[in-house]
Amino acid sequence: MDILSWDGTLSSGDFRLAACAFMQKWKSVMSAFPPWSWVPCPKQPWGASASHDVEGYLSLENIILSCYAQEEHDEISCPQKEETSCSEKEELIDIATLSNCSKVPYYDLHIIYSASYRVPVLFFRAYYSDGEPLGFNAIEKDLPAHSAKALLDSKWTFITQEEHPYLNRPWFKLHPCGTSEWMKLLFHVDVSVAKNGVTIELYLLSWLSVVGQVVGLRIPLEMLNQP
Amino acid sequence: MAAHDSEGSILVFAQFQSKVDEGFWHRLSSLKLNKLGIDDSPIPITGFYAPWSHPQVPNNLTLLAQSLPTELSEQSSTAATSHGNRNRCPVQGTLYNMNTIESFHALDKKNLLKEEAKKIWDDMHTGKAVEDSALLSRFLLISFADLKNWTFHYWFAFPALVLDPPATLVDLRRASEYFSLEEAESVSAACNEWRNSSFTAEVPFFLVSIDPNSQATVKHLKDWETCQSDGHKLLFGFYDPCHLPNNPGWPLRNFLALICVRWSLKSVRFLCYRENRGFADLGLSLVGEALITVSQGWREHQCLPNAVGWEHNKGRQVSRCINLAKSMDPTRLAISAADLNLKLMRWRALPSLNLDALSSIKCLLLGAGTLGCQVARMLLAWGVRKITLLDNGRVAMSNPLRQSLYTLDDCLNGGEFKATAAVKSLTRIFPAVDAEGIVMAIPMPGHPVPNHEEDSVLEDCRRLHDLIDSHDAVFLLTDTRESRWLPTLLCANTNKITITAALGFDSFLVMRHGAGPFSSNHDFRAEAANALSAIGNVARIDSDGRQRLGCYFCNDVIAPIDSTANRTLDQQCTVTRPGLAPIASALAVELLVGILHHPQGIFADGEVANSSSNGSSEQPLGILPHQIRGSLSQFSQMMLVGHSSNSCTACSSTVVSEYQERGMEFIIQAINHPTYLEDLTGLTELMKSASSFNLDWDNETDLEEDDDCVQV
Repeated sequence: MDILSWDGTLSSGDFRLAACAFMQKWKSVMSAFPPWSWVPCPKQPWGASASHDVEGYLSLENIILSCYAQEEHDEISCPQKEETSCSEKEELIDIATLSNCSKVPYYDLHIIYSASYRVPVLFFRAYYSDGEPLGFNAIEKDLPAHSAKALLDSKWTFITQEEHPYLNRPWFKLHPCGTSEWMKLLFHVDVSVAKNGVTIELYLLSWLSVVGQVVGLRIPLEMLNQP
Repeated sequence: MAAHDSEGSILVFAQFQSKVDEGFWHRLSSLKLNKLGIDDSPIPITGFYAPWSHPQVPNNLTLLAQSLPTELSEQSSTAATSHGNRNRCPVQGTLYNMNTIESFHALDKKNLLKEEAKKIWDDMHTGKAVEDSALLSRFLLISFADLKNWTFHYWFAFPALVLDPPATLVDLRRASEYFSLEEAESVSAACNEWRNSSFTAEVPFFLVSIDPNSQATVKHLKDWETCQSDGHKLLFGFYDPCHLPNNPGWPLRNFLALICVRWSLKSVRFLCYRENRGFADLGLSLVGEALITVSQGWREHQCLPNAVGWEHNKGRQVSRCINLAKSMDPTRLAISAADLNLKLMRWRALPSLNLDALSSIKCLLLGAGTLGCQVARMLLAWGVRKITLLDNGRVAMSNPLRQSLYTLDDCLNGGEFKATAAVKSLTRIFPAVDAEGIVMAIPMPGHPVPNHEEDSVLEDCRRLHDLIDSHDAVFLLTDTRESRWLPTLLCANTNKITITAALGFDSFLVMRHGAGPFSSNHDFRAEAANALSAIGNVARIDSDGRQRLGCYFCNDVIAPIDSTANRTLDQQCTVTRPGLAPIASALAVELLVGILHHPQGIFADGEVANSSSNGSSEQPLGILPHQIRGSLSQFSQMMLVGHSSNSCTACSSTVVSEYQERGMEFIIQAINHPTYLEDLTGLTELMKSASSFNLDWDNETDLEEDDDCVQV
């Protein structure tokens, strides 16, 4: 791909290719995290469908992104006697009750291709361990302050709540309208690209290295330079 | 509680914890609305869990959207077939979803738990639990879905049969400490194989048999007899969702009960199988030995042991509650989508857009006809939430075509009141709008009031006064000239943002009124200067030496009179080209937005296109005109500036101060005697003198360029 004429976007077929390459690379370098998986989706019957249409998205679910992971949980050693609100007599000594006061947020990340912007879009949501969803304010508090804030205030990123295209529920997403512009910039300044040209395989990783920061996901730079 | 170095202490288990994915509630709501209705019979559901693999937090028993049967399936007797994978071992459960909060609280929890425990007990005795060991982890869920508030009350129970007396713990340590190196390696390999095979990955209870050569194999529970006769070292393994170093997880409870019932063992060596990143981790897994000392009688099938297992909520045995309005309530979703639209506009194109001002401004629309309907819609689009419409008419059959808030239904049975119908329509479009309808006529000069009606007219005047007082911006959208008089006066009195739109057959006028004569910006300097100018025919100047902009009546040389009498039918109906109203309404609202974003608000100068560039005209929204006059026949538009007239019958200081002094008495007088206003303002004199000599319009104050002269 000629970098000078490239507009920062990706075709839907390329997205599929990029996704496969991305999943491989991720497994090898980001071993602290579980692997991404590809979720196939049924084609929308009403869509402007061609046979090469993307039929799925990348998913990484149930991960802990915040600083919480490093904190010590103080609830471990406090088994409690339970009070019953059902009238049955319970055996008090028999049950170690872990009071589930620890509110550890989990994140689900989906990377979904946008046909109208021709770029990937990051969808995410957060919830506590009992399933209760986090609102955006709570997420903001939870994420590493420095990088997230800078990105949130920038003119390149904009977090909105919109309906997930496949799951029909509101998820948060990073609005894609600035993506192609900064992807182009990103590849312009990347030295290895100047050497090798823009490759599909690197697209998603590079993209995620930027947007991932909004959700506190750090991708080490050396991952991007590996062949 | 159960330290590994103390002999014979009671074995204490870490309770299962639940996690309900939002999708489950969505699916349940939809099932309830579309299929179940008020049917509250038990529903078979599937939960999912897996061995612990997360740092520091336990693996929960999870319910997802697919935990519920799909709406299309007719079988409700069998639980959903496994949708699991190695990270989602399916477990059967029963859901009791109640119809009211009272019935939810009134459920006999003890009994329900007993019933569910009995199922497990029976499965143990019949051997079903050996065949399908996931049955040992059956669970129960009771719930109440409040679909008005999108709140879900729920409570899980993980029934565990209580050993009586309880099992004691002889030993508990890390598996890596228990096994020899060779054994550990072999056990890990065997477990990984078990976990990776699609036949066995979802089987959460198994046997680990280690031969004298330290080779381990993992087997199904039903192979126990064979293993027994082998004489090899045997451990009872299970997927342990718990993460604690000193406690095994909940599934072990029923596992021990099964072992006791089926195979009458007194001493059980168990393996709490836990993983790290998808692979067996014997450093995290635990191996322990438990002693079971129950009596023979306890094991009898017909004697159901006690069961425990209602989930604790923050240490207490109470139900949980979750509110999902933000993601399920359509009104909330509509609000956030509307906000999103405006925020996008601000982000991409107009960073100085003041969304707070727009969402908090209160707009009063006088007239809910062709103009009123369009203005209301445009305001909604700009994020205005508080809209009051005033109109005393009813929706007529011809209205829906041009008045965009009405449909045929509003015309039936004599027609709904426009103000009411408009509010209903706005609320249907955007439920979060705060819309109010006032059915009232505006008192007008030239339409004298009979004595017996005077009180009600006075009442209307006062009401109008209060309405204007309690809003921030007023749109004059009525269909006669005289109906605009009183509102103009009242707005000038209180310096409200006032915008007029008026239609001719193929032309329109949209303008913003200037500030009133006694705006708070003035100081006593202006008062003095104005006192001087009262002598001449000079327009009021404000403290900055500028003239204030005029109102709708400032150009008039006659007072508002009854314009409706003696007109032909089509004139009375104000027939206009249909395209005019939408254009004029749109401009009126854009003008309002411009005023809100201008640092001087209603005191802003009127600008025209091509005005010389000075700092003040560089507003992000563009210029802020005073008057826009458009012509459809020319497809053209021009901007004008007119300054206030000292003889204005609506906004001049004479009139406003008269109103301030005499209030309603003055209003009634003006209504009943239209020439009164002309006399008061000196228009009568003016007209007389105009016919006697030429009036020199040049005067001492600095007028703007010729372009800005008042045009009629």
